[in-house]
Amino acid sequence: MSKKHYRFFGALLNAQENWLNKMSANGYRLIRTSKLMYEFEECKPNEYEYQIEFIARKSRSSAQDYAAFLTEMGYKVFYKNINLNYSIGKVRLRPWAEPGGRIATNSTTYNRELLIVEKPHDGKPFELHSTIDDRIEYYKSIRAPWLFMLIIFALFGVIMRSWIFGAFALMSLIPTILYQLEIISLSKSAKTNE
Amino acid sequence: MRDNIKGGALTEVTFYVLLALYTPKHGYAIMQFIEDSTDGRLTLGAGTLYGAINTLLSKGWITPFGDGDGRKKEYVITNEGKSIASNELARLNALVDTANKIIGGNTDE
Repeated sequence: MSKKHYRFFGALLNAQENWLNKMSANGYRLIRTSKLMYEFEECKPNEYEYQIEFIARKSRSSAQDYAAFLTEMGYKVFYKNINLNYSIGKVRLRPWAEPGGRIATNSTTYNRELLIVEKPHDGKPFELHSTIDDRIEYYKSIRAPWLFMLIIFALFGVIMRSWIFGAFALMSLIPTILYQLEIISLSKSAKTNE
Repeated sequence: MRDNIKGGALTEVTFYVLLALYTPKHGYAIMQFIEDSTDGRLTLGAGTLYGAINTLLSKGWITPFGDGDGRKKEYVITNEGKSIASNELARLNALVDTANKIIGGNTDE
């Protein structure tokens, strides 16, 4: 018997991941997602593990190629939206994305910013990125949109002398700093290890 | 992939993927090969493996194998990849020799 839950995690990647893993610990496996809805079916407790990956930097074709690769590796993947904007004809510019992903629309990568990756629990650690260099690259790809927003909002705040933009800039500053700290600490270990 | 300009050292992941592909393999088999040959010390994340495969494809050190219709994508090492791997083996042998001279002789003291 399936069970539906309604949640919105936005950019809180860890919170979403932890919630899915908690659902799995309670014996529920994800079978379908939509903008707010997560549908589960019963499974053995902890039969599956979940990871959330931020893929908005990829173009549509490279996101599909990556999802196909993960499926070949024996994982199950779900696309997930990071925003709640479902207006028709939505276009978003992403200068921080790779070529091919810089103009995101509903038919390409908009509302497909995240991958939920499911792996059958086998006792081995579930990490999609396992080397220091690769983790740095991954954190840089999450930092990029926050850094971009920070710069844009700060610029608008100064030019238009608007405190609202200033507040948005401050809000973007927090995740930018958090991911930056991750990158710095990884870069330090990369000096002697790989 | 971080290339040391002077030494030309390969990363461990790069070298293992090249070694794995002396016989054609798909992604999962590469991961298994690396886990088995390191007794589980080196477990590769799928995202990391994906990045490594794409980097090596673009460098021309490995290439897709077979027509790939319907079945899982397989890859195999190229001649260029083999010469890179041989150079790495020579470099590592020299390193091991030096290490043995310095550390190896002193282990039972």
